[in-house]
Formats: sequence, C-alpha cells, structure tokens
Amino acid sequence: MTEQGKSCNWALEINDLTVAYNSKPALWDVDLRVPEGVLLAIVGPNGAGKSTLIKATLDLIPRAAGSIRIYGKPYRQARNLVGYVPQRGSVDWDFPTSVLDVTMMGLYGKIGWFKRPGKKERELAMSALEQVGIAHLAHRQISQLSGGQQQRTFLARALVQDAQVYFMDEPFAAVDAVTERAIVNILKELRERGKTVIVVHHDLQTVRDYFDWVALLNVEMVAVGTVYEAFTNDNLRKTYGGRIAGIGAASGAIDVTSTRDSAEYAEVGDAV
Amino acid sequence: MLIIERMIIDILLNFTSIEQLNTFMAQPRNVAIIVGALVAIAAALPGVFLLLRKMALTSDAISHTVLLGIVVAFMIMVGLGANPDLNSPLLLIGAAAAGVVTVMLTEAIYRSGLVKADAALGLAFPFLFALAIILISHYVDNVHLDEDAVLVGEIGVAYANINVHCYEQCDSITITPDDARAEFGRRCTNCSAGGLSPRDPEAEFETYCINCGTHTAAEAWRERLIDSPPVQVRWPRAITTMGLIALVNIIFITLFYKELKLVSFDEALAGALGFRPTVLHYTLMILVSLTAVAAFDAVGSILVVAFFIIPVATAYLLTDRLSLIIILSPIFGIAGVYWGYDLARGYFWGLPLDGVLQWLDSIIELNGYTTWNTSISAAMVLMLAAIFVVVWMMSPRYGLIATIINRRLRRLQFEDQMLLVHLYNHLGGEREAEELALETLHQHLQWPRMKLERVLARVRLRQLAKIQHGQVYITQAGIEAVRNFAEQNLPVEHQEQIIRAVGD
Amino acid sequence: MQYKSHHVWWVIAIMALIFLIFIPLSIALGVRYDYTLTTVAVGGALLGAISGMLGTFTVLRKESLMGDALSHAALPGIAIAFLIAGRQLGWLLVGAGIAGWIGAQGIRAITNTTRIKQDAAMGIVLTTFFALGLTFLSFIQQLPDASQAGLDQFIFGQAAAIVRRDVELIIIVGTFALLGILFFWKEFKLITFDREFAGANGYPVQLLDLLLGTLIVVAIVLGLQLAGVILMVGMLIAPAVAARQWTHHLGQMTILSMMFGAFSGASGAVISGIDTGLPTGPIIITVAFTLVFISLLFAPERGLLWTWWRQLQDKRRFAAINVLIDIYRHACQHDDPHYPAPEGYLRALRGPIAKTGLYYLHKAGLIRSVGKDKWALTDSGEAAAIHEDRNRLLWALYRQHSEALSLPSIREEREIDIRHCLPEDAVSQLEVLANELTDKQNLES
Repeated sequence: MTEQGKSCNWALEINDLTVAYNSKPALWDVDLRVPEGVLLAIVGPNGAGKSTLIKATLDLIPRAAGSIRIYGKPYRQARNLVGYVPQRGSVDWDFPTSVLDVTMMGLYGKIGWFKRPGKKERELAMSALEQVGIAHLAHRQISQLSGGQQQRTFLARALVQDAQVYFMDEPFAAVDAVTERAIVNILKELRERGKTVIVVHHDLQTVRDYFDWVALLNVEMVAVGTVYEAFTNDNLRKTYGGRIAGIGAASGAIDVTSTRDSAEYAEVGDAV
Repeated sequence: MLIIERMIIDILLNFTSIEQLNTFMAQPRNVAIIVGALVAIAAALPGVFLLLRKMALTSDAISHTVLLGIVVAFMIMVGLGANPDLNSPLLLIGAAAAGVVTVMLTEAIYRSGLVKADAALGLAFPFLFALAIILISHYVDNVHLDEDAVLVGEIGVAYANINVHCYEQCDSITITPDDARAEFGRRCTNCSAGGLSPRDPEAEFETYCINCGTHTAAEAWRERLIDSPPVQVRWPRAITTMGLIALVNIIFITLFYKELKLVSFDEALAGALGFRPTVLHYTLMILVSLTAVAAFDAVGSILVVAFFIIPVATAYLLTDRLSLIIILSPIFGIAGVYWGYDLARGYFWGLPLDGVLQWLDSIIELNGYTTWNTSISAAMVLMLAAIFVVVWMMSPRYGLIATIINRRLRRLQFEDQMLLVHLYNHLGGEREAEELALETLHQHLQWPRMKLERVLARVRLRQLAKIQHGQVYITQAGIEAVRNFAEQNLPVEHQEQIIRAVGD
Repeated sequence: MQYKSHHVWWVIAIMALIFLIFIPLSIALGVRYDYTLTTVAVGGALLGAISGMLGTFTVLRKESLMGDALSHAALPGIAIAFLIAGRQLGWLLVGAGIAGWIGAQGIRAITNTTRIKQDAAMGIVLTTFFALGLTFLSFIQQLPDASQAGLDQFIFGQAAAIVRRDVELIIIVGTFALLGILFFWKEFKLITFDREFAGANGYPVQLLDLLLGTLIVVAIVLGLQLAGVILMVGMLIAPAVAARQWTHHLGQMTILSMMFGAFSGASGAVISGIDTGLPTGPIIITVAFTLVFISLLFAPERGLLWTWWRQLQDKRRFAAINVLIDIYRHACQHDDPHYPAPEGYLRALRGPIAKTGLYYLHKAGLIRSVGKDKWALTDSGEAAAIHEDRNRLLWALYRQHSEALSLPSIREEREIDIRHCLPEDAVSQLEVLANELTDKQNLES
C-alpha cells in the first residue's frame, strides 16, 4: 500500500488514538506525526492526557481505538527502537540497588532471558553515566541521590538503550537548574545524532528554547507542528482556555495563572 | 459493675417478670445472639472510621496484640494473689495499653524511616502476639485462657457465666443453737486423738449444732431452712460488659461525630481548625482496643476483626452518606450474628445442613462427616461475609451486577460515539470518500469488521447514521448526539469549538 | 559511603560463624540431637531460608500485609485437603496454595469492582477465610481420629510435626523456588523496581508478577507448618527487613535475609522441639524480631544508633567550628590573632553549646586557656580558623553563583569542607571569586 510506504518517513505516527478510563475519554481521536530528528514537547494542562499518550504509545495501557507506528512498524516489533524515561516519582528510590545497576537495566532487553549483565554491559552503562555527568556516582546507592541525579540516572538508562525514538515523561520536573541545562544539552545532542525525542513538558516558558516541535494536547490534539507554527497565542488559548494571562507569543513569556482543576483526572492517574 | 447490672435488670423488670427473664437468659441461643449483637454494634461504630481512614488492618493488629495486654494483666493479677477474672477492669486497662503500644510501636518503626508502613505493621503485631502466646503457654495455666479460646471465644457458653442478683428472700440466715430450726448431733471428742472406737466405753461424747452459723439465702433454701426460694435473677456477665462498651462507643461517636468526620476526611484541615487529630486518633485506637478485649471473651481475638470491617464494608457498598453507614453497619452486624447462630446449629438461611451432608454422603463418600458442627463465632463471621457477598452482587449502585451492566452500557455508548465522531469529523472532508466507505470503514477505526457491523447496526437503529451508496453518513440526530457527548466528556474549550462548529 | 560495602560480608561471615557454633553450643547447653530433632532443625532452617528469600521481594514490593492475608486464607484449603486426602503434607500444601490463590483473587475482585480499598478488602478476605478454616477444623474434630491433631499445628505452628518425608518435599520445592529466583533474577528485580519501564521494554509484566506471586505463596504455604497462619507474615518479612538495614545491594540483601530466616527457623524449631509446650511460631517470630531490632539499632549507616552518633558528632563539630570562628573574629577585631576571648562573651554569642565547643577545641589543641575563663587561639588554631573562614566564604559564593557558573549540585550535607564536595576546577573557580572579593574589601578598607 502506498500508505505504508509513506508512513515510513515518520519516526512516530499515531492515528485516531482514543484511550478511555471507565469509558471516559482520556485521549480522544488523537493524531500525531513526528518526523525523524526532532525534539518534540507535548504540553497541555494537568489531566490533558500527556502521560497517557506516552503510555498508550508504549502499550502500557490498553487503547480503545487507533493505531501506532514507529518507523512504520507497530510498537511490538519496534521495541528495540524505543527508549523510555518514566516519571521519576513512579519508582521507590529506597530500592536496594546502585546507580550503575539501574543504568544497566536499560540493557536487560538486549541481554535476553536468563543471562546476567557482564563486563561489556558495565562499560556501556559507565559511558552513558559519563555522558550524563554522574559517572563518579556509579556505585552509589540510589536513595542517596538528589532529584537531579535521579533524573540523570534515568536518562542514562534510556541512553544505553541506544534507541531511535525516546519518550520522556516530565524529565524536568523538580530538578535543579544545572541538571535541567545538562538534560537539554543531552537532548540536543541526541537530535544531532538523528534521534527523535518526545518529551512531556509542563513549563511553557522554556518550550521555545528547548524544543523545535510542539504538540498541544488537551484530551484532543489542539495543534502539532514546529514551535513557530503551532506555539501560538491562539492555540495556547484553545489548549488552556482563558487561564493564561499576558500571552506574548513573540517573547514566549507566558504565565500560567492557574491550572485545570483535576480532581477527577487525578483519580484516573491513580488508576494507571 | 454489679450496680450497673442491677440497674439494667431493674429497668427490664418493669416490662417482664423475674421468671420470664430467667427463662429467657437460660437459653444459650438468646444470650449468644444478644452478646453477638452487642459485639456487632460496639465494633461497627469505630469500624466505620477505621475503614474511612484506610486503617482497617490496624484493627487486625490491635485485636491480635490485645491478647498480650490480657495475658500481662492476668499475670499481674495472679502475682498479686487475686483471682484472675476475665471481667476485671485491670484487663481493660491492660488491653487499652496494649492497643496503644501496638499503634505507637508501628508508628515508631515507620517513623525511623528504615521500614515501610506496611512492613512496620506486619512486624509489630506478630511480635506482640508471639510474646502473648509464649506467655500463655508457659506461665498461664488457666482454663480460661487457652489457645482455643484465643481463636474462637466462647459465645456459646456465655449464658452459663452469670452474676446472681437476688430480689426477695435475700437475707442470709443465722442459726443459733436456741433457734427452732437448729439441728443437733453427737460426736466423739477423744476418738481420733486416743485412737478409740466410738463404741469403746471410754469414748466421750458431746452434743453440737450441725447447721449453726450463717447461710446465704440460696444455701438456706437448699437446706430447707426457709419456706420459699430466694427470688434471683441470673444475669450473663458478658451482656453487661459488651453493652457498656457498645454504649461508650455510641456516646463517643455521637459526641464527636463531626470531628471524626472531618479528621477522617482531611486530617490536615482538622488540625488547622484545632481539632487535635492525634488525640482523636488515639482515642479511637483505645476504643478499638477496649472493644476488642471485651469481645475477646465472646468471639476470640482474631474473628473480632470481621465485626470491625465486614458490616461496615457492606454498608459502604450501599450508600455514600456517613450517617447512613453508621446506622446500617450495626444492622448488618446484628443480622450476621442472628443468622450465624443458626448456621452454627446447622441451618444456612433455613437450609438444614445435616440433610445436605447426608445427601452428599449418598453421592460421594464423606467418611462419616455427616453431622454439621462448628464454632458459633466462626459461623457468625461466615454469615457476615455472606451478607457482604449478597450486597456486593446486588447493590443497585456499587454492586457487581450493576457495575458490570453499567460498564457494558457505557462501553457500548462509547463505541457508538467513536463511530459517530469519525463520521462527523470526515463529513465533507477532502478524504471523505475514502474514510467513510462502508467496505473500509473498520480499517480506519482499527476495529474488527464484526465489531463495526455491530456498532453500525446499533447506530442505524437509533437513526444516528445512514448508509447511502456504500458510504456511511451521520444524520442530524447523530450530530446532536456527538454534541451532547462532547458537552459531557470533553474539556470546556473543545465543547465550545464543537458546539460552534455544529451550530454553523 | 561506597555502595558495595564490605561490612555486609562481615555480617554474613558472622552469621555463618553463629551457625557453626550453634550446634556445639546447643549441645553444650544440653540439647541432644537425636534423629527427630535433627530433622526438625534442618526443616526449620530450610523453611526459614525459603521465607527469607521470597520475603525480600514481598517487602520490596510493599506487599507485607498481602502476605498476612494470604497466610490466613490458606487455612480452609488445608482443612479441605485434609478432608479429601488425609494428612499428607504435599496435598495440604496444594490445598493451601489454591485457597491462598483464591483469597488473592477475592481481594483483587473486591478492590477492582467496588470502592472498598485494599486494606479493608484484605481484612474481609482474611477474616472470612480464617473463619471458614476454623469451621472446617471444628467439623473435622468431631471424629475422634488421632491424625487430626496434626492440623492444629497450622494455626500456631509446630515444628515437631516435621518428618523426614516433609524435609524431602521442602528440599524439592525449595530448590524449584531457588532456581526460579536465580533464573529470573534480573527480571524480578526490574519489575519490582520499575514496572513501567519493564512493560515498555516488552517484558510480560503480568506473567512475571504471577510467577513471583506464586513463589511467594509457595513460601508462605511451606512456612505455615513452622510459623502457623497467624504469625507467618512475621517469618516472611522480618528477616528481609533486618537484612535491608545492612546492605544496599539486592543480592546481598537476599543472601542475608535467607541466613536470618534460616537462623530464626532453626532456633525456633530446636527450642520448641525441646520444650513441646511451646508452639514454634511464636519463638521464630521472637528470634526474627530480635534480629530486626538489632539491625534497626546497630546497622551501619542506616541504624538508629549510627544516626544518633552521627548527629552527636555533627553537633560537636559544628559547635567547635562556630566557637573557633567566634574567637578568631573577636581576635581580628583587636588586630591580634592570639587575642583572648572571654568565655562569657562566647556563651552570650552561642548559648550553652559554646561550652561543648570550647571543650573539643581545647582537646584538639586549637585553643589554650589564658587566665581566668579566657581563651586564645594557638598557632594551629589560627591556621584552622583561617582555613574555616575561607571555607565559609567559598560556600557562600557557591550558593550565590553555582547557577551562573554551572557548578555541579551537592547533596552531601554532612561534608563541611567544600574542597571535598566539588571537583578541583570548580573549587578553583570559586577561589578566584573569593580572591576578587577579599581584594575589593582590602581596597575599600
């Protein structure tokens, strides 16, 4: 089919994706096409389904409808092309293990069943840790890390996966400024190497500086495109409603005065 | 304690006669059901707030460790030379202390930051319970505190454990030698000392009074020293103990209803408003401990947990209103107790179990297990659970059947909507012909063909869509439906968009 | 603060040593290892080790109370299996396993289909199954058959009932459990630590959950005859909680937990084997909890005594440094680095802690007493004060400029000397800033 041939151009292609919790739509008829080699931010108010979009893409939650293609293949076949950075808060950092060990978890899929990680894996993990700047912490227990260091550990774990498409869920949440800059540098480096990075992001002010593509999401997809095309006042108003004061699309200085009341959605989040 | 009992009996005697009361209380069934009902009331009230505060298993922990309090109090009583008694107030103090110690130990382990909350609870109470069992098996050789009693209690014999209250002819009688009722006998004074036979001529005799001295009224009647029996009420102790605890719980819940409600809902706010959540918390824990220790005698230290949790959970499935939950929970508890006694006696909601077993025996070999015989308290718990299961299935709002039907309905509706929205979005679009073709529609929706046909049939039946020339189109009614759905389920901004678009 | 801490091997070695002296010691105390007692002890140790191994995962998955619910839920299964097959350990275990599994499904069904939370759901299942178990037990007890006595052991545990055939069964099942853990070690580690990541990487998370869950149920069911249904949760989690305190490494934790479990199991079995009046469960729990208690108190780095000692040290250190700087600044105001400061002045400045500070400074030879209640810096004290003063300046500069200079973030609050916290180039950057600052101040004055 010609359609098939066309879709190979996209690093990620989502068609008509609908996800529902108890028949209440969390994502409604979402389309998203991301070309190779871009940094894409998914932004939207709380409960807009940003994390849900990533989880549905990675087959972590069931879809009511829609299809997902990564380099033209369904996720099941494209798994080794994908790297994933979950939310930092989703794990118990008091778990008895070391930074190096967590990083090597990124290689478990490649090692296969029954085998143990060896010297080669250790070296790969070390170089990933060097990349994110915490090689000196390799043997530290993970509960002794700061928030930024935890995030870097997760990033290193994704890096060793050596994927083509990276999905990151709120990597900038509650990290220090230095770490934030370091992560941005790594993201840009990944883009230079032709990787595609899709990031759930919540800070509208930095979208322009960090990303070149943006997807505005609020249950439905409001707009997708390059930051210049899609990150407009009009689209932001459509996404966030009237709650954004002093939108200056040119300056990018946006002040979110209040976020959506999301009691209901919080429950949905728990259900995940 | 006795004074309170007397007051209760006095009140009851306004409605009934002493004979009727004694006959009633001599029935094991009556007493067991009354005691069980009081346990159900006493436990359900604090249970409501345990459940709301997600502390249901704390009651499990406390009811285990209350045993340690009982054992220690027992040992102190024995050490002091007192007669160990399961109704002593010292036991209540010991139990309350043990309950508080459990909660504090759990919190201390958890607060150290070294152990997670679940493991902290899982460490604290097995340890305290283990200590109690070791102490029992090594130091307490008392009939009343064996390991079986720990497990199931003795609600079946509660009727036999009584205090006697006398109403008439109660005076003790003193017989002196010059009393007309005095009886005399002769005895040998030097026989045993001198090794003489009473027949020996050297034996010396004296006359003495056989029945002189002071006799209680009951003894006097037995000896027929008085003409009519004393009028007594034989009152089971467990009713008083359990009733008092139930009363205390009722008073506490009534007095602090709104504080408890607030603390359970929002502890931080309660603290900010000056309600002292910690004090309320520990008071609740003390009440749980007291209830557990009072119920220990009746239903044992483990099954009492069921009385805290199951009736409340049952009520929780029926209503959202806290006041109604508080009223319904004890009712479910009492119902479980009532039917539970019958179950223990071989009747499951009227079905004779012996018959069932004999019938089973005729089909498969039961090796002689054809007589139903089980502990009363365990049977009561089973009936509590049975009521829970029935409500779980049948509850109109939260029941399993209702939920399954609702979910299915909502899913069907959702499928209809997805089809309609697809039709709506592509109506008049550039790829309309391709997207709306009947032959390929299921591919665009990523649905199996069968599913599409089902959904389409439903939608067409409701006249929300129509088929024309191998193309599927949405009708005006369908557009209305899409609009309604969007209004209910999508963020406000989008509704506006869609409504605007539909309006155009 | 290295993570592969070697003290763990010390603890493991000590535990091994305790095992070695356990037997001669108990013989010396008058225990006679006849055939029965040996069987019981070996069985107890094996069961304890298996519980310890799987308890590690139970604790890390925060499912301790689930363990409690499942062990209670197993009771009716045991009773029914007895009714059908008689007293054969294998069948009793199968019955217990099935009942435990049904209980787990019941808890899941209640939490999934109603708004009842997991704690209450566990309470409901736990008590109902326990009541059902007691019902069946009293039903069984109506027949005066000698073999029934064996069933009571499942409530409080009775190691004395373990016979050779049981030990063989335990070895077989235990070997399977061990192999399961070894084969799926990294997968189990992954799903325990980060389920989402495992799922995204294509691991069949639910299947692995089921497998690990089954192994945990097997451990519970095996342990029942030793600890009993009521106390089983303690035997499952106490060794793991104790082991967690000594190490930050999952493998070490598991090994240690197995050793703690084996020790508790064996000693409980032996003690109750000697004194048959005592049920085994409570003794095992008491031994295991003692291990937990010791671990919570004495474990290096995490232990409470350790923390307390560290806080005390910090308090002293800060007191000493603060007083040192106070004396130094006071002296600087008089343009003489050895100018003495009166103790009253220092106390007014720092409060009663000044006394502590002075004591430790004096002990370290950094200050000397001059006349009545007056203290002056020694030469080494002066050097230390200058060093410390500089260090404070660098810290202040770091807090001020770390963003602008992109300096790495620091978490070691305990490190007082900034030169130990930052890489050299970062320190030298700060030194440059500090020099500029002092130069400017000198110019101004």
